[in-house]
Amino acid sequence: MKIVACYKCVPEEEQISIRSDHTLDFSKAESKIGQYDLNAVEAGMQLKESNGGEMLVLTAGDSVVENSKLRKGILAHGPERLYGIRDDELKMADSLTTAKELEAGIEKIGGVDLVLCGEGSGDIYAQQVGSVLGALLGWPTVNAVSKITQDGEKLIVERSLENCAEVLELSLPAVVSVTSDINISRIPTMKEILGAGKKPAEIWNVEDVYSKKSCGNETISVLAPEQTDRLRIVVEGDGEDSVNALYEHLRKII
Amino acid sequence: MEKLQYVLVVAESVSGISELTAGAASLGEKTELMYAGDRENALNAETAYYFGNTENNSFISFIPAIISFVKQNKPQLVLTEATKNGRLTAAVIAASMETSALTDSMEISINEGSVISKRMVYGGAAIKTEKSVAEVSVACVGGGMFEAGSPAKAGKIVDIEGHVAGMRFVEKRTKEIKSVNIAAAKRVVGVGRGFGGEENIVLARELAQAIGAEVGCSRPVAEEEKWLPKEVYCGISGVMIKPEIYIACGISGQVQHMSGVNQSKVIVAINKDKSAPIFEKCDYGIVGDLKTILPALTKKLIKN
Repeated sequence: MKIVACYKCVPEEEQISIRSDHTLDFSKAESKIGQYDLNAVEAGMQLKESNGGEMLVLTAGDSVVENSKLRKGILAHGPERLYGIRDDELKMADSLTTAKELEAGIEKIGGVDLVLCGEGSGDIYAQQVGSVLGALLGWPTVNAVSKITQDGEKLIVERSLENCAEVLELSLPAVVSVTSDINISRIPTMKEILGAGKKPAEIWNVEDVYSKKSCGNETISVLAPEQTDRLRIVVEGDGEDSVNALYEHLRKII
Repeated sequence: MEKLQYVLVVAESVSGISELTAGAASLGEKTELMYAGDRENALNAETAYYFGNTENNSFISFIPAIISFVKQNKPQLVLTEATKNGRLTAAVIAASMETSALTDSMEISINEGSVISKRMVYGGAAIKTEKSVAEVSVACVGGGMFEAGSPAKAGKIVDIEGHVAGMRFVEKRTKEIKSVNIAAAKRVVGVGRGFGGEENIVLARELAQAIGAEVGCSRPVAEEEKWLPKEVYCGISGVMIKPEIYIACGISGQVQHMSGVNQSKVIVAINKDKSAPIFEKCDYGIVGDLKTILPALTKKLIKN
């Protein structure tokens, strides 16, 4: 099977700062690979290791797709090669826009049997792109998958729904979005980290893969909510005095 | 309040049908429902289209028929549940109608014929307000967003079939749902990775028992370590709690977790890392080893 796992590079939310007008300042936020995307990469690696085939990764984004630390970071998790679509207008894009660019990437890669996506992006977490991508490709599309087994030319997937587990057999090619508890992403070995830089990475400009039409929802605003002012009364140490001090504060409330 | 002409609800669960049809009535003049489950569950709709139950079938098999219906009848808004099936349905309908679904709406309104939705982003650090100007908008709405109205039976129930290509149903297994209503708890003790091992969680349980609290946890504790069930993890993608007091133990205080607990009246943090973000977001905190602090604190609380 030729497997492609899609991933997104997102800002480190702990490093996003809030301006006095409640807008967000990303200037000091480093980028990282979306944590749920690593589950998709791991699922692909496990399928390749059991059944053979090729395991690749694809991303779409602005200049972050050229970030070599992140490229090596994801390649160190096992994929043989990386494809990226660079679109400087993609930040804050909605799920349809993103999925259309990924669709163009999948078609350009060619011969793909299985697309794997994470549960949702690390930043917006709309939990849509995987399913939208499947709908655009016109392939059998499922989400909430917590187990995948290959059975000849078919894929057996188990979906973890709210009240039940549902087992389905899918024809290939297909698009599968996995749950965040399907697996634990492997920790790359030193050898894999060092080898990552030698794997091929191909970045395309969006105009070379896709003739873009504007589409999608409008973002009206992204604002930090009013924060509850917390007291921030903190004692240090786990000795009797500190515990007593904390107890005295709590006594009035409990 | 401005209303649309026609809203379609797609739902499976009893609460979903009840809440979304009530919501549809507040947003549109006419409501129709496409649903699965028990036939009698149809409510608050002029016409309800029934696919059958999903005992030996996946809801996914109904999606192509839903899309044909939407293309033909063009409701201005389609509402789905924020369940796994609801999210998939919203995505596929939106894709076929050249739009993006508005998901996890905290608030939906209509303005000049467009649908406006607010949702949390960046782990809860911010609220995004977005607008759909599409011919057919799609919104995926969480439980509790709309209040169930006084139920009225649906006007007419029409049976409808669904088929999907490339997929075959194999089997279904019901899950045992652990019933813990942590969302309604007045006091909660949170368990984080700082406990180090499942064997130490008893310290949190003892504190919880001493103050009549429920035990919750952070996402990694439920999903990666699996020390506690998923039903009790608190956070932006888990349970949102509003207790009078929340005692976070061994929890670093990342945005995704805090978004689920920051409606607590009082937040207490116990963590051995002085620079943990939670100390900026709590009312009272103590820096030290929870294995020492918890038993000492519990003992004092029991004594008094």
